[in-house]
Amino acid sequence: MRSANNPEARHGSAGTRPSIGGLGAISGPPARQTKQAWLAILAAVLLLPVFVRYAVATEIWIFAIFGLGLNLLMGYTGLLSFGQATFFGSAAYVAGYLLKYANVGVLVALVVGIAVGAASAAVVGYLCVQRSGLYFIMLTFALNQMFYFTAYQWTTVTGGEDGMPGVPRPAVLGFDVHGPLPYYVAVAVLFLASMAVMKRLVESPLGKILQAIRDNEARAEALGYDVRRMKLLAFVVAGAFSGLAGVLYAMLFGIVPLEAIGFVFSGNVVFATLIGGSGSLYGPVIGSFVFIWLSESVSTIWQRWPLLLGVAFVIVVLFFRGGVVEAWARVWAWRAAQRAPTATVRHDAAP
Amino acid sequence: MLYAVMGIGLSIITGVLNIPNFAHGALFALGAYSLYSLMQLMGNFWLALLLAPLGVGALGILIEYGGIRPLYRAGHDYQLLLTFGLSLIITEGIIIVWSPVGMSQLPPPLLRGGVDLGITFYPKYRLFVMVVAALLVLGAWLFLEKTRYGAIMRAGIEDKEMVSLLGIDIHRLFTAAFALGCVLAGIAGALTAPIRGLNPWMGVDMLGIAFVVVALAGLGNLLGSIVAGLLVGLAQSLAALVWPEASVAVIFAVMAVVLLVRPQGLFGIR
Repeated sequence: MRSANNPEARHGSAGTRPSIGGLGAISGPPARQTKQAWLAILAAVLLLPVFVRYAVATEIWIFAIFGLGLNLLMGYTGLLSFGQATFFGSAAYVAGYLLKYANVGVLVALVVGIAVGAASAAVVGYLCVQRSGLYFIMLTFALNQMFYFTAYQWTTVTGGEDGMPGVPRPAVLGFDVHGPLPYYVAVAVLFLASMAVMKRLVESPLGKILQAIRDNEARAEALGYDVRRMKLLAFVVAGAFSGLAGVLYAMLFGIVPLEAIGFVFSGNVVFATLIGGSGSLYGPVIGSFVFIWLSESVSTIWQRWPLLLGVAFVIVVLFFRGGVVEAWARVWAWRAAQRAPTATVRHDAAP
Repeated sequence: MLYAVMGIGLSIITGVLNIPNFAHGALFALGAYSLYSLMQLMGNFWLALLLAPLGVGALGILIEYGGIRPLYRAGHDYQLLLTFGLSLIITEGIIIVWSPVGMSQLPPPLLRGGVDLGITFYPKYRLFVMVVAALLVLGAWLFLEKTRYGAIMRAGIEDKEMVSLLGIDIHRLFTAAFALGCVLAGIAGALTAPIRGLNPWMGVDMLGIAFVVVALAGLGNLLGSIVAGLLVGLAQSLAALVWPEASVAVIFAVMAVVLLVRPQGLFGIR
């Protein structure tokens, strides 16, 4: 029904993406919008632990960092990666191993995690950017499977199916982050920092080039940009973000489960980013919020909760394409239309 | 040989419908489980081998009609999410209906035991699978090359708009192509059951391999899928002899090498 009267919705993501800047382009002046979004995120960071357990709240921000990385690929470069767990898991294993056996500090572990995420993304990305479209997606998945099997069979290091337990969470610069609240604060700070870095990145010239590749690859190439190298760069940056998230995840639960490198994890982050609205800076944040909340609530209902998750995926895809950010933007546009009937209303709806 | 069957099925779906079918592995597993249950029900292996893939194909028609059809214009991300969601549903469905514990399925009495090939002793059932898979590959090739429907399907891979301009119902073509891909996945699953046994996640491994095969073959290239399927299977069997733990990794290594040397795939033009 919705698709019948909104030409943007019919094309799904393809239609929403050209509105670079996401929210800002559709409703209100971008500067004000940005400020409001930051305030909203800050409020969420402060208030979230009041409503949910620290561990869940921490997981939400970790997943948001993970989603930010994927969003750079999916939303801003137009590369759909179904293998983000490769970098998340690799970083978690390597940093977890160092934390456990080499007694390295948290900062070292974080740096190592980011480096491992970026390095594994460089290798995988180099192979994947050779192809585009469907093949790109398939290759990211296939290589994800290779890392998964490596982790599965290399039991002496990774613990195979049992995962790698006993990842410690040492103090950082004298601050004890062992308790749930201090760790939450640390993760929240890192999340805000990641957010700021990502914002700078997508607004930088590099970010604009990536968006140009997304919108018209042939033209970007004709303008003289080395498209493959740019894509690879986006891949590496996304891998670094995934790596950071992976290390934080390992330290949160004290274990690197085999699932952390599995393809279901890759699918989950795609879902979270899409449901939040890809191509918007804040989309993955909202998406991770919705996803963790959803999986936490369905996992307590039924042991076979992935079934419900699968059903949720299908329902969202069939009926709620465009995600929360787009739905929200539409409400905004509608409200603006109510206030000023003749003003800037139609520019987003007109094809 | 089974890789080639999976590869062709996936290649048809990828080529004609232009979607990433992440449910292909789950459909493969469903084929295996259907065979298992039909065997329990009727006790006739041959009938079960015939019916199981048809059931998977029927489910494929439903999936295409209800889920994928609204998404042709929606972008790969949503198509991916849908098929991924479906694969979760099918896998969990298998766990609920059957069990999370692996099961085994004996080959029919006629095909138990082995044959002496002179140099080595080979299980009869594996030979049977090889023959059947070869026949399937041949049949699929003949269908696609020599029949009218096959010609339409190949035309659909080349240029969808032109096909629909010529007055062919493109939606029916899509449904048929998806169903055919599902049937092939179902057969591959059913044939695999007596070799490797059954577990709900058996499809995931197969999915990765099928993607490698399709990526190696090149866009919608069906002959390429056959060759790539054989190549991957051969690489894996050889690796299994030398270094069993790495046999999965070898598949991906082959893919990596091919992609570095020939980015467009073995037979790809684009």
